[in-house]
Amino acid sequence: MQSDLKALKIGEGELETLSGLDVNDIFVGGIFGGTYRPSVWRDSKKLFFFCLTEVSVFVLILVFTLPVGFILTQDSTQGGEIQRTLQFLTINLSVAFVLILGWNFYLWSKQKSLASLANLLDEVDKYNEVIKAVEIIDKLAAIGHLPANLINRDGVLEALRVTKESLVCSLMTEKILRQHKSFIARRQELFINIENNLLTLRTLEVNSQASEYGRLLNEALEIGMSVYKEVKKLQS
Amino acid sequence: MNYFTVLITLLRDRDNFVEEIHHKARLKTKITALLISSSIFLAIYGGIIGAFASPLQVFASAIKLPALYLITLIICLPTLYFFNAFFGSKQSIGQNLALLLTAISITAVLLFSFAPVTLFFLITIRNYQFFILLNVVIFSLTGFIGISYLYQIMRPESEQLGPTSASSVEASIGDDFVVADADQKSNKRSNKITDPALKTRTNILRFWLGLYAFVGCQLAWTLRPFFGAPGQAFELFRPREGNFYLSVIQSLLEILTN
Repeated sequence: MQSDLKALKIGEGELETLSGLDVNDIFVGGIFGGTYRPSVWRDSKKLFFFCLTEVSVFVLILVFTLPVGFILTQDSTQGGEIQRTLQFLTINLSVAFVLILGWNFYLWSKQKSLASLANLLDEVDKYNEVIKAVEIIDKLAAIGHLPANLINRDGVLEALRVTKESLVCSLMTEKILRQHKSFIARRQELFINIENNLLTLRTLEVNSQASEYGRLLNEALEIGMSVYKEVKKLQS
Repeated sequence: MNYFTVLITLLRDRDNFVEEIHHKARLKTKITALLISSSIFLAIYGGIIGAFASPLQVFASAIKLPALYLITLIICLPTLYFFNAFFGSKQSIGQNLALLLTAISITAVLLFSFAPVTLFFLITIRNYQFFILLNVVIFSLTGFIGISYLYQIMRPESEQLGPTSASSVEASIGDDFVVADADQKSNKRSNKITDPALKTRTNILRFWLGLYAFVGCQLAWTLRPFFGAPGQAFELFRPREGNFYLSVIQSLLEILTN
């Protein structure tokens, strides 16, 4: 790959830095603590690997819940060894089944919070595919299979550069909004309360301009209102 | 996503892989991939050693062998993390887990590489004591290599990022030569100050490796049988009696006095 094209590619390491999460084809934020990308359902290969991951996680859970079955069947004297094995398997499989259901529920519950990041990652995938297409055209042109001026290479690279900048900016904005989501949500309630209190204050027969307290409160309310407006602009 | 890709990356470029762990690069992916791939390799080898006795033992050992390694790791991980943190380590528990899993994955791959050898002797020699001792040798060898590698990568010195890398970046900016020089001097001073802490953490690591082997052997004894005695009915777990070391000595004596 030519160096100018290589510099435009957004790799997984760069994605991790921009989004703050470990991302790959199937999962965002890792298997434990993250969620699956919705694009998994649209691609049969990704769906296959996702199912393989589910099976692998089930086997891992079985391995880690072995002590549970061991402790519960250790002193069991009823029936023979086969009976004890079946009891052990029942306990282990039940615990593993409950845990894997819980894990899948957790994955589903995280979908909403990471939906916008997942969409951005799909855009990054499409962007990287365009880079791959340009690389293939370059290789074919180099061996003479295609005419060298098939595409306006400089124009394409410039467009890709602009696209990369906007993708990077979107990823960083999404990261900031996601990391401060609870702060913004709390502040939204506070700003709504401030708005209501401002209306209440104005109806009171108090000369807020004259008193020091009123002046400070007005300044704080004005600052709060302007920050609230900026946050709303950032969100839209 | 292919979990074996991470394992292949580890085998091809171990130093870079460990360096990425020190920098917390893609830690969750590494941990998951190493957990899954090491479990699969250990399960395959466990199935082979269980095949000596019966089909039921194949399934039992396929679950027990990964459980042995991974549960030993989970039991011993908090000790290592908290002791290191107390004596100045900046590594997170995720980094510690990733480094330990790196060593276990290498052990698992080495065991898997011995699978054809074990299968060969399983088919050609039906001597239980010989099979046991062959596997004691294989497990000891792979365990020794895994633990040696773990000692190399977990040593406190390998955790320190070289001051030369930081100072070379600053030295390229003309005005910062003085800053770079002062930076190197302060780094040398701080290294001297932390030397006793480094020595303590090295000793903690050595102690922990002994603890890991001890817990591992005892867990192996608790979860037995892995091979299944020929002629005896299938047993999921044997009653808790005796210990691992006595059993190895008894096997040696039986071979010699056959």
